[in-house]
Amino acid sequence: MKAPASPRGAQKTAGRRTNIGAVRSTFAPWNDPSAVPLVRFENVSKRFDDHVAVRDLSLDIYPGEFFALLGPSGCGKTTLMRMLAGFETPDTGRITLGGEDLAGVPPHERPVNMMFQSYALFPHLTVEQNIAFGLKQQGGLPKGEIAARVAEMLALVKLEPFARRKPDQLSGGQKQRVALARAVARKPKMLLLDEPLGALDKKLREETQFELMDLQVELGVTFLIVTHDQEEAMVMADRIAVMREGQIAQIGRPEEVYEAPASRYVAEFLGDVNLFDATVAASDHPLARLSAPEAAGGFEVMDDDCPPAGTAVTLAVRPEKMRISLDAPAADAANVMAGEIWDIGYTGDWTNYIVELPGERLIRVARANASRIVERPIGWDDKVWVTFDPDAGVVLTQ
Amino acid sequence: MNRPLPRPSALIPYVWLGLFFAFPFLLVLRLSLSDVALAIPPYSPQIDWEKGIDGIREFLGGLDFEMYDRMRGDHLYVNAYLTSLLFAAQGTIMALLVGYPMAYAMARCRPGTRNLLLMLVILPFWTSFLIRVYAWVGILKPEGLLNAALGVIGLPPIDLLYTPASVQIGLVYSYLPFMVLPLYAVLEKMDHTLLEAASDLGAPPWRSFWQVTFPISLPGVVAGCLLCFIPMVGEFVIPDLLGGPGSLMIGRSIWTEFFSNRDWPFASAVAIALLVTLIVPILLYQRQQARALEAGR
Repeated sequence: MKAPASPRGAQKTAGRRTNIGAVRSTFAPWNDPSAVPLVRFENVSKRFDDHVAVRDLSLDIYPGEFFALLGPSGCGKTTLMRMLAGFETPDTGRITLGGEDLAGVPPHERPVNMMFQSYALFPHLTVEQNIAFGLKQQGGLPKGEIAARVAEMLALVKLEPFARRKPDQLSGGQKQRVALARAVARKPKMLLLDEPLGALDKKLREETQFELMDLQVELGVTFLIVTHDQEEAMVMADRIAVMREGQIAQIGRPEEVYEAPASRYVAEFLGDVNLFDATVAASDHPLARLSAPEAAGGFEVMDDDCPPAGTAVTLAVRPEKMRISLDAPAADAANVMAGEIWDIGYTGDWTNYIVELPGERLIRVARANASRIVERPIGWDDKVWVTFDPDAGVVLTQ
Repeated sequence: MNRPLPRPSALIPYVWLGLFFAFPFLLVLRLSLSDVALAIPPYSPQIDWEKGIDGIREFLGGLDFEMYDRMRGDHLYVNAYLTSLLFAAQGTIMALLVGYPMAYAMARCRPGTRNLLLMLVILPFWTSFLIRVYAWVGILKPEGLLNAALGVIGLPPIDLLYTPASVQIGLVYSYLPFMVLPLYAVLEKMDHTLLEAASDLGAPPWRSFWQVTFPISLPGVVAGCLLCFIPMVGEFVIPDLLGGPGSLMIGRSIWTEFFSNRDWPFASAVAIALLVTLIVPILLYQRQQARALEAGR
């Protein structure tokens, strides 16, 4: 695999800065100009009555990728997936799979399989028969081979003891596994997963996330997952496309979209973020100085391509990248905000402090509970100082 | 743990069945074991309540299976039975063939249209059954609407009235709602994503239908068929109005025996035999309903 050499221009800062995020990954075919995408959406639009579901969207997905479409409901992510499966036809634009135009190819002739959000298991068939359904449609597959493949799939999802059960005799997690086994039994070129973990409880969801990742590596199949759950997308996907109103707001590795969001929308959609309206005071490469009412000493942020002085921008700082202290820092230092504790949320691994700045402005600061004993715990109504490092903030222009 | 006492409301079905099914059935059964008599009512023996226990014993001694023997020996009745079963079976199959696409199309309509169509299916019940069947005479008679329409498009007229075919038409027409409604109920409930899943797994539409839609709709098919078949076997008005001499059905024979020949015991015996014939499909229906209930839980 090639190291990311020439990043594509889509993301603003993600490519220019190296070492973004806490994960080192060598799998990045999207940065390789010679890589051939498996699926291409080219200027695809789809409209339902007066609602535009997908708006002139282009997207490449590479072989072996675990790709996530992430967005709130109604952002067009499901429509995009259903167009790939063949259940919807694009109004304009082209979708190709392995170089072949999919226009006019009915769903039953497409080499992709889908795992439905509701699982859509056939209620009149047993687990075994459900898994065999797709194999039986491929004419000419001998019975022995079908049986062997079914047994293999049952073993893969560890459901051998339930082979003869009907779907309504299974738990939610078991149904999910049957749906998965049925979808991969035909060895599709691409597996589409529509909110695959939506119906599972939290614990099972976490387990299943890792199982799905393992399965993807084991099968070597390209996965496209649609989800509204950012954690699900971040944990599993190689790349995430954050969608908004039928368009892609940002596309990149989970670390990129989280640590270097391209817009306020993406910053707010993924995790918690504090946004400050600021004005660029000076662009002092590599530092950008911003002035904002919240910080008396102004903000100082590492930014390579900060707009010129005088531009109104938004500074985004994640709560976990801020520090909170009962002691005042050096006078007129940058990135210092004074305030009072408004509320405290203790979740065990993290403590979330809601700090009220002058002018009834609330910000959120998160602190990892790295030690069990704290010398000077912070309490309600304490006067505190919030600081952050210059590389913690991201300057957003949109 | 104490089992809770059955609520009084649970008894209602039993009282109902006792009153409106078991009691009349026993009356008919008793009739079928009696003999014809020139009296009012036209059968014997009667229970002489004044004689007390002896009267009842005398009455029971007077009952016999003579009527059933007579029925078995008479080809007319055996044939009428067979004709009835055949007509009902054919009518049921045709109602299924007509009703399934209808119910399927209704279930695939938009909800607003669906309710309208459902209303239209039920609408004929607002008119008398007799009048609706009689209307078919006007349609099927040699100079009726059907032949007029055929003449307009240049086809030769066909003589349908008083043939087995016209009875079939009447049967299918009259019982179609009983086929459509249970079919519609299962098809409407069916999850459309199942068809998408089938198609996603490589099944073309026709195979999706046979491998997914049809098997899932089977409870509705069975219910619809039995709801048509059972009353069709005993149907009386339709063969009487639309049928010729070739379509003697058992319901009509019962009527003739009761009202023309005033042979109440024999008519009762025929009716009892009909009931026994129908017990098999009725039990089938019940078993299927019970299974559907269990599956629904």
